[in-house]
Amino acid sequence: MIIHIPVLIIISPLLAAFLVLLTKKYKIILAITSLLISIVFISTLSSRILSGDKVLYHLGGWQGPLGVSLVIDGLSFFFSLIVLGLGLLVIIYSMHERCYGRTYYFLLLISLSSMTGVIYTADIFNMYVFYELLSLAIYLLIAYPKTGVTLRASFNYLIIGGVGLSFFLLGIGFLYAMTGTLEISHIAEKLPIAFNSSTRMVLMSFVLIVSGMGIKIAVFPLHGWLPDAHSMAPSPVSALLSGVTVKIGIYCLIRMIYGLFSTKTFSIIISSSHTILMVLGVVTLLFGAAMALAQTDLKRLLAYSTINQIGIIFIGLGIGTEMGLTGALFHVLNHAIIKGTLFFCAGIMIAKAGTRDVQGFSGFGRQQPSIAFAFIIASLGMIGIPPTNGFVSKWLICLAAVEAGYTVLAVIILIASAITAAYYFRVIQMFFSNPPKQSSTLICKEKQMIHGGNFFKAWTIYLLVAGCLFLGIVPVLGISIVKPAVSILLPHVIP
Amino acid sequence: MTPVNISLLVFMIGLYGVMSKNNLIKKIMGLTIINGSIVLFFISIGYRKAGLAPILEEWTTDGISTAIFVDPLPQALMLTTIVIGISVTALALALIVRIYAKYKTLDIQQLSKER
Repeated sequence: MIIHIPVLIIISPLLAAFLVLLTKKYKIILAITSLLISIVFISTLSSRILSGDKVLYHLGGWQGPLGVSLVIDGLSFFFSLIVLGLGLLVIIYSMHERCYGRTYYFLLLISLSSMTGVIYTADIFNMYVFYELLSLAIYLLIAYPKTGVTLRASFNYLIIGGVGLSFFLLGIGFLYAMTGTLEISHIAEKLPIAFNSSTRMVLMSFVLIVSGMGIKIAVFPLHGWLPDAHSMAPSPVSALLSGVTVKIGIYCLIRMIYGLFSTKTFSIIISSSHTILMVLGVVTLLFGAAMALAQTDLKRLLAYSTINQIGIIFIGLGIGTEMGLTGALFHVLNHAIIKGTLFFCAGIMIAKAGTRDVQGFSGFGRQQPSIAFAFIIASLGMIGIPPTNGFVSKWLICLAAVEAGYTVLAVIILIASAITAAYYFRVIQMFFSNPPKQSSTLICKEKQMIHGGNFFKAWTIYLLVAGCLFLGIVPVLGISIVKPAVSILLPHVIP
Repeated sequence: MTPVNISLLVFMIGLYGVMSKNNLIKKIMGLTIINGSIVLFFISIGYRKAGLAPILEEWTTDGISTAIFVDPLPQALMLTTIVIGISVTALALALIVRIYAKYKTLDIQQLSKER
């Protein structure tokens, strides 16, 4: 039992996904239980992982390059915690909405299970298969309301995402042609020899894999699908997309750049790839911030804000020092928490105001002080103002930029934070402006609705906001989870 | 012209189809062509001219080097890729049916004008 834990973490939501289709009454209990089981399984491994150890599991007992193995090290432990934690909250949040049927929970569990699969697998082709499974579930979740806009957003994402994953698969093909193996650690061992004989093929596979993942992460020139998909999906799905799904792409990119192409012989590739990451990060950051400033639709604004924050994570990864990576990975966690809060709040706000327009939320702060307060705390975190967690990670990245000699990057991050402040304060300002004439009876009725049926929704938001403040006040706790992940990427760092 | 080069050429044709065609069905056809080209690419990696089927039996192990066997792994991988490709195509076509029922058009230029 104990040795089978890595595979049980993936199987538990997968099994529940198919059981959910059979029952009508117990679907939510089943979904929540399966995710809780996975989280309990992960936490039994935590003491081993946090001390810098890693857990290997060979599926079916097939060792090494022949079989598929699962690896849980610091990095995959960190990402899988984010995935399952936010996934659980998303399910609790969508619990009290009658419009979500069995297929919704089925798709949600499939996507969560395949996300853990992408994170744990040590086999690069298996990673592709899980990624494609995840993408299929996500396309369907975006199209779940079956309105015209969601169908178009989903189709758009399907075409662009399909091309991106094809690039990824072609890159895998090149790697296999050179090394004859599919396991990431074996490829990393054999790649230096291949690099000397066929440099162009290594470069080709590098370019294909990075651009394929770039499409999935939505870095600047490849971001076209993100604003539509993230803003049109149902609010809990938006939170999942922004908070977690994009991070899976970032995880794969980190694995590829730091795990696969990172031997000393590749100093040319590595130094140039870090420059590429930084340049992409800066462009993505400024573009996302500028576009978010121009939006009037709240969820579209949040979607562009995601592009903005991805830019910051990229800058941290591009700097590549210990502090830069710590900041970038910590920002991954913080962004998941904050974006989860913001999209959850946006869901309640849109349901209540009946409009997605920022102008329509006037007076919301007086009707729903607690939700508005949560939104304000989360947006402060996104801007990076001290008692919140966003500040800590941005501070680390800026510090790393200055230490590594890229003072310009720190200045750019600060400018982008100012723009972030501008577009979030525009929303917050609307909360406390006078609402246009509205009959008082209507307000009373809506108040009752929020206090009654939406208890669980509000509860998830408060939990996330508490996490946001807690990690801001005690950042050591977050950094202690990130440290083992950084030690995987940079071998000289001790966890 | 090796099979690898041909498969990359086909990949480019598929990419052209996805990017430049206005009709949604033609975009999906482009995606299918890309998928096919990847299958061709993987199969041609493992191909040996006049190779044998990779079945080891007791009497074949001695004296015969493994170099004459066709690499079986890419073929196994491509079965998975074909299945995935079919499910992506099926999902895309299902979405297209819904989109056509809503908007009565499949032209992406006209669809982007609709709100």
